[in-house]
Amino acid sequence: MTKASRSAGLIWLGLLAAALLIPYGFAALTGTPAQDAAGLAGWASAAAAAYCAKGPTPLVWLQAGLLAGLAAASLAGRRLGAWAEAVAGARGGYLTGLAALAALPFLIAAVTNSSACTRGQAFFWQAIFVDVFIMAILAISYNLMFGFVGVVSFGHAAFFGLGAYSVGLLMEHLGWPWWGAVLGALAISVAIALIKGFVGLRIRGLYFALFTLAFAQVFFLLAGNRLLVNVTGAEDGFTFAVPDFLNMTKNRLFFYYLGLAAMVLAFLVVRQLMRSPTGRVLVAVRDNENRAQMLGYNTFYFKLIAIVIAGVLAGGAGVLRGLSLKGASPEVLGLDFTMTPLIMTLVGGQATFVGPVLGAFGLHLLEDFLRDTVVTVAGVSINVGERWALILGVIFILIVIVFPYGIVGTVQNEWRKRRARRP
Amino acid sequence: MRPTLRVNVFRQSLIVSGLFVLGLLVVNLAVFKPSTVAVVMLSGLYQGMLFFLIAAGMSIVFGLLDVLNLAQGAFFMLGAYAGFAIYGALPAGTPIEARFLAALLGAAVTGGLAGALMEVGLLRPLYARPVYQIVMTLGLSTALNEMVRAIYGPAGLVPIEEPPALATTFTVLGGQFETYRVFIIVVGAALMLGISLLLQRTRLGIIIRAGVQDSEMVQALGINVRRIFTLVFALGTAVAALGGMTAAPFLGAYPGMGTDFLLVAIIVIVIGGMSSYEGTAVASLLVGLTRATAEQISLQYFNTPILASVSILLFMVAVLLVRPTGLFGRE
Amino acid sequence: MSAVLTVQDIHTFIGQFHILEGVTVEVPDHSITALLGRNGAGKTTTLRSIMGLNPPARGQIQYRGQALNGRKPYDIAQLGLGYVPDYRAIFRQLTVEENLKIAERRPGDLDRKRQFIFEIFPDLEKLYQWPGGQLSGGQQQMLAIARALVPDNSLLLIDEPSEGLAPVIIEGMMAAIRRLTAQAAVLLVEQNFRVASQLADRYVIIEDGRSVHSGTMPDLLASPALIQKYLSAA
Repeated sequence: MTKASRSAGLIWLGLLAAALLIPYGFAALTGTPAQDAAGLAGWASAAAAAYCAKGPTPLVWLQAGLLAGLAAASLAGRRLGAWAEAVAGARGGYLTGLAALAALPFLIAAVTNSSACTRGQAFFWQAIFVDVFIMAILAISYNLMFGFVGVVSFGHAAFFGLGAYSVGLLMEHLGWPWWGAVLGALAISVAIALIKGFVGLRIRGLYFALFTLAFAQVFFLLAGNRLLVNVTGAEDGFTFAVPDFLNMTKNRLFFYYLGLAAMVLAFLVVRQLMRSPTGRVLVAVRDNENRAQMLGYNTFYFKLIAIVIAGVLAGGAGVLRGLSLKGASPEVLGLDFTMTPLIMTLVGGQATFVGPVLGAFGLHLLEDFLRDTVVTVAGVSINVGERWALILGVIFILIVIVFPYGIVGTVQNEWRKRRARRP
Repeated sequence: MRPTLRVNVFRQSLIVSGLFVLGLLVVNLAVFKPSTVAVVMLSGLYQGMLFFLIAAGMSIVFGLLDVLNLAQGAFFMLGAYAGFAIYGALPAGTPIEARFLAALLGAAVTGGLAGALMEVGLLRPLYARPVYQIVMTLGLSTALNEMVRAIYGPAGLVPIEEPPALATTFTVLGGQFETYRVFIIVVGAALMLGISLLLQRTRLGIIIRAGVQDSEMVQALGINVRRIFTLVFALGTAVAALGGMTAAPFLGAYPGMGTDFLLVAIIVIVIGGMSSYEGTAVASLLVGLTRATAEQISLQYFNTPILASVSILLFMVAVLLVRPTGLFGRE
Repeated sequence: MSAVLTVQDIHTFIGQFHILEGVTVEVPDHSITALLGRNGAGKTTTLRSIMGLNPPARGQIQYRGQALNGRKPYDIAQLGLGYVPDYRAIFRQLTVEENLKIAERRPGDLDRKRQFIFEIFPDLEKLYQWPGGQLSGGQQQMLAIARALVPDNSLLLIDEPSEGLAPVIIEGMMAAIRRLTAQAAVLLVEQNFRVASQLADRYVIIEDGRSVHSGTMPDLLASPALIQKYLSAA
């Protein structure tokens, strides 16, 4: 073992420890663990990016040392029992999951004996997880409309696809800087949400769902049409250049943490919203809109707020998707990107916070694990990757029957029932 | 006595629809030469009838069971494949007419049986959970498409031969038109009328119309509503499957062939006012004519059929803005 | 007089709510029994439990010696029970004729009963081809009862026949219901005590989901204390 590789290994260990421990440290220091954890993920991502870019420089050492120091401070400040409790509780579960995700690139690198920074196994899995994070944001956004506000949309792909298209078109065709293009794309999401809201929310129930379907389908058709081939590339889509630090091919580890941070942010936005007075009105609207109206709430504006937030989140997911692939094609506007988050939400558990995230992780990773698997049943060979739609359908049907409220929802219900039975 | 509000709304919608068709005709006459107008109108009718065959079952089932069957397009495809299988299985010496007729009937029967199976096996356990039902029908649609792809391959089957009498063309106002399209129009019109008679004149029709409003009361009158649900669902899928086989000499059979039609069918029932059979019938023709006109305009000026699909989507959005429950829908 | 219907201590849940917590009712043949009690006491749920629309979780329901528990509503109806819900449930898109026709249990039921129905409710003859949605409240109520008369039912469950009707129409309705006892027993839910007391032979009082008192109507009328306790200020 050379000296350089040993010190690199130490850095990994340091970062790993930091990623695992610091969230708890921050929780102990300020008492708002989830927000600190998000900040920490950002810090870790910066450290990791610096590490990949320049190797183990003094600055990286400093950062790792600081992170480890905070962890030690936290350890000293807490008794072991409190730790166990924190890990077992829901908040501890979130933090443990987050820490695991923060450490994951290095874990995979260690297990597969490859580098977290250059091409190889770890690199490959980082890309997959970036996709997972993006789908999780989309599912979180879908769940906000569907689970919490009770509005079924069959056109969520419009937000997602337009996010991907607009960030690329603004940079490539109008020459906007990356941050302008991202803000522009998010502004377009807001505009789309407002149009959908003002026009569509007058329409109730299934009519609204079908209205959104038609709405999304118009963009899907326009994107794929040869009329605008010079701008959008029609059915082939188009590619665009992104700045180096956002380039997934060059700076993947950074993009990984960017995706993770974005997902945590989306999660926190929805959780804070639903725990606010506005969120309580939204749930009241879902449960009985007429009653909410009679209590004096203008339910239209509450739904409009929700659709704008959901639109920005889904549009943001689309922006990430466009940036990560450095391109967009009509499929991002297609029905798949509406139905997949819907199924992820239903499988994970509608109207729960973590359900859509777990649904996205479970289904997306399953698809990737099984991509090249060939199963032979009764002499018929089935290529799992090619038949993914079929298998997804079967999984969905099974889960709907076994877990009527989604996995998280059903487990929570059982948990509550068991707790209620206890004296 | 109170004014007959509902009848007036119905008449109003009919008049509006008539004016709309008239407007389309005027646009046609202004933009195209007469031979093109004839072809566009006939093509609109033919497309409208195909849309109707898928949408009719969806609309009635939605009214009665509150399920939007997004697998209806898959049954359209299933009908085509079943028809092909039967057509191919009959010995080569059989006259084409007989093989063709057997394929049509076989497609309808297959579609009906598969639909009954789906209703009893997959939808019934989910009646308390409407969103799951919709996703279930969509999942089933994907599954059926994938199964067909796995068994018959992704390429699809070459269109089968139609009976010689229908394989001819004829001329209207100087425009060439295939006789087979007229056959499709006739089949569609016959079913349109047949279903209407079934709904208006038979006991089953009375039960269906009553069940749309209050299926619990129908049950309290001693009628096994669940059995009616299954029957109606199966009838709907049978009509869609028949539609698929009817279109097969034109389109052939390929995985996903129903999906394009499904989206249009959804637009049709939304425009017509969900769960209104008359609305679905009228709207399918309006949509067919609109689509054909827009397609021709688009081809003439932009050299791409883009407006065909966009026009009906905009049509739907416009209708929803003016009447949020569709042309013939009830509040 | 033998009992057509015996409801023995039924408990019914709607969702998580325990609506009926022990209701016992007995309906003798060819007579009218009224369920009395305040709003929300569980009278309508009792009728719905008998019809199988809200099946009871516990307790026995017997109709002419047959257990109704576990049967589906259509199955129960076919045994000879007619149900007239409080919201009347007239099919608005169907004509009066079709509204009656749909209640046939065997072909020809309506042809046999048409004259009888027109005799009791002469209005329906003029309105025969009208859509149900265009009838007035009183006409809809007549149609709802007439619909229960089309098959040979021997027990009619009638919920709030006088609700929302003008006094002169209520008189006619009461006369019609009284005539029905020739063929069938009637279990009536009636909020209007004056109507119930003139119509019914027996009564059962339901309070908070429990049947708390029952007897003959003359006994009830002779006991102002009972009326005061359970039925006043309803």
